Amino acid sequence: MSDSSPLLEVTDLCTTFTTPTGPVAAVSGVSFTLNHDETLGIVGESGSGKTVLSRTVMGLQPRRNVVVTGSSRLNGVELVGASEAEKRRVWGLEVAMIFQDPMTSLNPVMRIGKQIDEILRVRRGLSRSAARDRAIELLELVGIPSPTQRYREYPGALSGGMRQRVVIAAALAGSPQLLMADEPTTGLDVTIQAQILNLLDDLRARLRMSVVLVTHDLGVVATRTSRLVVMYAGRVVEVGSTRDLFARHRMPYTRALLEGSPRLSNPAHTRLVTIPGRPPNLAQLPAGCSFAPRCAYATAQCHVERPELQPADGLGHYFACWNPLPTPTGVS
Amino acid sequence: MSSAFAVSELLESPAATPERKRRLGLLFWICVGWLSLNVLAAIFANVLPLDNPLQQNYSAINVGPSLHHLFGTDDLGRDIFSRVVFGSRVSIEVGLGAMAIGFGVGAPLGMLAAYRRGTLDTVLSLFMYVFLAFPAIIATIAVLSFWTPRSLFKIVIVVGVASVPLVFRVIRASTMNVATREFVVAAKVQGATDRRILVKELLPNVAPIGVSFLLIGVATVITLEGSLAFLGLSVSPPTPSWGNMINESRTILQTNPWLAIFPSAAMCLFLLCLNFIGDRLRSHFDVSDVKL
Repeated sequence: MSDSSPLLEVTDLCTTFTTPTGPVAAVSGVSFTLNHDETLGIVGESGSGKTVLSRTVMGLQPRRNVVVTGSSRLNGVELVGASEAEKRRVWGLEVAMIFQDPMTSLNPVMRIGKQIDEILRVRRGLSRSAARDRAIELLELVGIPSPTQRYREYPGALSGGMRQRVVIAAALAGSPQLLMADEPTTGLDVTIQAQILNLLDDLRARLRMSVVLVTHDLGVVATRTSRLVVMYAGRVVEVGSTRDLFARHRMPYTRALLEGSPRLSNPAHTRLVTIPGRPPNLAQLPAGCSFAPRCAYATAQCHVERPELQPADGLGHYFACWNPLPTPTGVS
Repeated sequence: MSSAFAVSELLESPAATPERKRRLGLLFWICVGWLSLNVLAAIFANVLPLDNPLQQNYSAINVGPSLHHLFGTDDLGRDIFSRVVFGSRVSIEVGLGAMAIGFGVGAPLGMLAAYRRGTLDTVLSLFMYVFLAFPAIIATIAVLSFWTPRSLFKIVIVVGVASVPLVFRVIRASTMNVATREFVVAAKVQGATDRRILVKELLPNVAPIGVSFLLIGVATVITLEGSLAFLGLSVSPPTPSWGNMINESRTILQTNPWLAIFPSAAMCLFLLCLNFIGDRLRSHFDVSDVKL
């Protein structure tokens, strides 16, 4: 496994849904790479195409009414347009997924242990007892107390945070190199959110995995990702290292997202800044920059011509804007 | 003193609840017992000390219940008790046989249609709804009138085929309810094949509804057989069935009500037990309902 070739290489990925009212471009022209042992954050508002992107990257899309173009290569294996059998070889063993709602992502009538050791027995060919031992080990790894007893319980007996830990254990069972976490903490309490995120971070470091963390919450990605992809209306509007994007973002949308996050350093009762307007209708995107109608810096050009991604100062930092914010002086 | 008592009671109640939930209840076991008794009697009717159900005794015509004839005799002097026991064979065979056909065909198709959706679902559903548009009783009467000579086997087939769309519809609906949940996608990205998802993930979720509908379906089919027998379209006399006994009683209802009462009561109790067990099992196996 050479570190020079990226683990995941997404090139010009487009996902278009065919609907009765016309095509809806949920993801258009998205490119990014993910290296081994790295955490990438995908951020954006609701409806910006984050979830569709993360599923398309895995090759997971509805059977019908969808057109996917472009390329998504995991360890050099193309997942876009691959047959179900080809994808099944990769799914679970090289890439695993954690879902938003732990209440629905576990089978309610299957014992917890069985949901974890299924993949070990079917895909890894472990014996019943070996799979059981490994599943209990995994439950312990994700911090579930008395795993031997929990192994035999049904998901209904666990709290949301515990269930999400089980979901993570199940995802780890196939020892994947890439973990896709689609809003893994949205369905959980704030106090549990931090625990789950720290657990993910810790596991990533220990198991030398790469993680794609999809979220709308910048607080979630701030300290846990090395790079960020900011999405708006199905397109990447800014990409770069997390440090660069927080300190020297150029795209007004990124700033708007940052200003919309609560900060502990703000005085009490500070009103959160909201982004005026609503995300655009993906079926009728404006000709120019999709963000222009909501942007305070928009000029005539923004409404007619779409900006392409262009390099900024930082390494691997790109943004798509005609009127970028100035780079703050004094920051090196 | 009294408050301490209340607190201890509060503390104990959560532990007691799951225990109580696991119990099926006395009535359930009484129903199971009654059904088992019926089924065993039907199986071993030949070796039980019963009168020959076809034996006519002209010295005891239309007599009421007595020690010699527990349920009395009919207008040909045949023992009603023996005929009720032998008659249960027809009902049980039709009930189980027809539901075996109905579930054997309807359940896999329903699950497949709900999981795959698309063209397969559209075509299957359309076909089943066209089928359902014919009233089952009229359709079975029409087919059985022309498909002669009648036999139990043919009745089982016709009633079984008639039940396929009903089973399909129930199983498809309950599968669809489960198939759209995220754990199905989760299983898929764990690399599970479609067959594995259907059998391991979806089937256990659909099974409780399937089992309860199976029992209620058996009850419905027995009623249907009863209706057919009442119209003279079930097994030919003199073979007894609950339905044709009730039919025979029609003309002598005023002189000998026993001939109508006993087969009706046998059928009614049998169906009641089936429905009750089905309903009880459904709520019992519903582990997804368990809340802390």
